[in-house]
Amino acid sequence: MIIDMPNTHTSEIAQKIDELHDERGEAATGRVLTLLILTRDHNLEEALETANTASREHPCRVIAIVPDASSDIDPDKDDSNLSAQVRFGADAGAGEIIILRPRNGLVRHQDTLVIPLLVPDAPIVAWWPTNPPASPSKDPIGAMARSRITDAMNSDNPEATMERLRGNLDTADVDLSWTRLTVWRAMLASMLDQPPHLPILKATVSGPKNFLPLDLLRAWLRLRLDVPVELKTVDDATAITAVHLEREDGELSLARPDDNQAMVSFPGQAPQPISMPIRSDEDCLSEELRRLEPDDVYGEVINTGWNLLYS
Amino acid sequence: MGPMTDSIAWNNPLRDPRDLRLPRIAGPCSLVIFGVTGDLSRKKLLPAIYDLASRGLLPPSFSLIGFARRDWTNEHFIAFVKEAVEQRSRTPFKEATWENLAKGIRFVQGTFDDAEAFTRLSDTVQELDRDRGTRGNHAFYMSVPPSAFPTVSKQLAASGLAKSSEGAWRRVIIEKPFGHDLQSAKELDRVVSEVFDPSSVFRIDHYLGKETVQNLLALRFANAMYEPIWNSNYVDHVQITMAEDIGIGGRAGYYDGIGAARDVIQNHLLQLMALTAMEEPVSFSAEDLAAEKSKVLSAVRLPSNLQDHTARGQYSAGWQGSTRVGGYLEEKGVDQSSTTETYAAIRLDVDTRRWAGVPFYLRTGKRLGKRVTEIAVVFKRAPHLPFENTAVRELGKNAIVIRVQPDEGVTMRFGSKVPGGSSMEVRDVSMDFSYGRSFTENSPEAYERLILDVMLGDPPLFPTTKEVNLSWKILDPIEEFWSTLGQPQPYRSGTWGPTEADEMLARDGRHWRMP
Repeated sequence: MIIDMPNTHTSEIAQKIDELHDERGEAATGRVLTLLILTRDHNLEEALETANTASREHPCRVIAIVPDASSDIDPDKDDSNLSAQVRFGADAGAGEIIILRPRNGLVRHQDTLVIPLLVPDAPIVAWWPTNPPASPSKDPIGAMARSRITDAMNSDNPEATMERLRGNLDTADVDLSWTRLTVWRAMLASMLDQPPHLPILKATVSGPKNFLPLDLLRAWLRLRLDVPVELKTVDDATAITAVHLEREDGELSLARPDDNQAMVSFPGQAPQPISMPIRSDEDCLSEELRRLEPDDVYGEVINTGWNLLYS
Repeated sequence: MGPMTDSIAWNNPLRDPRDLRLPRIAGPCSLVIFGVTGDLSRKKLLPAIYDLASRGLLPPSFSLIGFARRDWTNEHFIAFVKEAVEQRSRTPFKEATWENLAKGIRFVQGTFDDAEAFTRLSDTVQELDRDRGTRGNHAFYMSVPPSAFPTVSKQLAASGLAKSSEGAWRRVIIEKPFGHDLQSAKELDRVVSEVFDPSSVFRIDHYLGKETVQNLLALRFANAMYEPIWNSNYVDHVQITMAEDIGIGGRAGYYDGIGAARDVIQNHLLQLMALTAMEEPVSFSAEDLAAEKSKVLSAVRLPSNLQDHTARGQYSAGWQGSTRVGGYLEEKGVDQSSTTETYAAIRLDVDTRRWAGVPFYLRTGKRLGKRVTEIAVVFKRAPHLPFENTAVRELGKNAIVIRVQPDEGVTMRFGSKVPGGSSMEVRDVSMDFSYGRSFTENSPEAYERLILDVMLGDPPLFPTTKEVNLSWKILDPIEEFWSTLGQPQPYRSGTWGPTEADEMLARDGRHWRMP
């Protein structure tokens, strides 16, 4: 069910939500968090779809804020003419979706715009699927959030964005480039669980050029293993393709030449296949919603680890 | 021994205790299932293994060996596993995941008394170590009747399968029932521990999954508002119910002569009771938890008059919901004069300061009103009610109900003013929390967690030998008393049990909740 609410007020939206809940005989209190999505029109539907899937695991209220980008916007004008859309049921995963399109002066006051619509007494997660603010923790919306999710890879200039995020890092910040690595990191860690427990002498990571997750993986390995980590560019790759770890007794490797299957090899053993599909944005967002606590390891990797590589 | 101690010595640089994202992936190993063609294996174990694989929690070398009597080739068996997976797996079936898993599937044909079959099994295990890199780590799942445990254990010992080389592990997984009385439980334990080290024996109770146990622990010990009233000052009594709507199905051979109390009270209900009544453990390690549970179980006192404070019944024909069903004595394979109870209720007291004078009522039965397992902590009435009698006429006792299944969650019952009206009136209302609604739709099956825990060497939160023995000590005198009685009281299928059970609570001035 999709309900358009042109020229409306937050109190009307809140009332509409309550009405819809009543009608459907369900309690809004089952929502475990509010997910705020801050994006632009061109990315909105994609972001909502991702959020819908993630909400099946974490029933939440999704509020997307899409400031009106038309040219006649004047931030000094008081006329907000807020237009909103409420989606329910089949159109909204396991929660409800509110899309807010503030204009004029309201664009600068997004925090007070969403406050009346938040799930009471539940954590707030802010997600910027494309361009994040320079300092998420100082952004009015970001400041309210318990967890701030950025996705520098999808921003207009990933390197510059990451550089800014690094500079302004707060403990509650995390970038999805890091989340995309979880499976790789888990596999590598479990490979090193196996005997013989010899020190790693050198590591090599391979993947596409200018690929943020690859840089983060490299920084993580550099930090944790304390050995040189070489970078090998694979021209036509779309994701990380391999990690090689050199040991006295030979080479361990985890390689994913295609999209689904990875090969694991240990010294002196035939390589074995394991399914390791490329992580979807849904998987990544779900993982972030599952864990709302600060990720210290991420902080160390993008600061200390990064500096070890590039300074 | 095993990877646990080893990983302490080896400090994996890629592991960081603060790194909570990394899922635990099992190390190289295989799982050998005895009784692999059985219901449990087909419906639960095999799908759970696939689900683990599709969640990326199994190592690339993971191998599965089925051991059964059927004259099958590997291909037959692989097809059988595939069918089971396609029918029941929780995660979507993906050909690539399946292909990887299938490469490690083997079948060993044989019977339990056939020494040669175990030699073949041993050869297969070695082949896997050599060709797939399972590195000598093997778990044996006994999905077989307890009567077969001794034979299988001895065969495993004789073929050298029970012992592992340095740095590798062997583990054995056994399911309830753990014997049918104290003596047989001790005997069973002796047989298994002759062959396997006690720390390698994983006694599991899928019904009481780790998830459930941990939910209960979190509810009790992570919150401030329950513990202060969790005692005889406030609690009137506790009711623990496990009701099934089905009959014994085709399990007459197992069930007849065992009955509801041995089948359910001895393990599930006494464990739930221990978790409800125990003191705060020093830590949530399996050891500390077992210590607290054992304390409670050893403080249990039986009623002096078993006649008045226990009840048993046997289902008779009737309508189960909308289906016509036969009585227990009409079930195939049941002796016409069987005195096996299909319903059992007992009162237990816990002799501790916390629980003095608070009875615990445990009941279980087949063909009851619906399928439900719950723990209801029923509170005393407020010492003084500043209302007219008429206002609180409909007010019951407050209760906290922990729903174990289905729809795991917590309900609180308390009185609330009926809105409007000309006079003051207070009535019971429910406040509800449900895991399913507040968290995930995709929580793993109990077996996924169990199998993964075994492979990771994570000790289960399940009954230790001591707890099993203590539980039999509680139940044995009751069974002995019941064996002197004749036929259990019949109850109509689809009801909440025999009138005897209602009378048992009425004697104490209480009544059973209707879950």
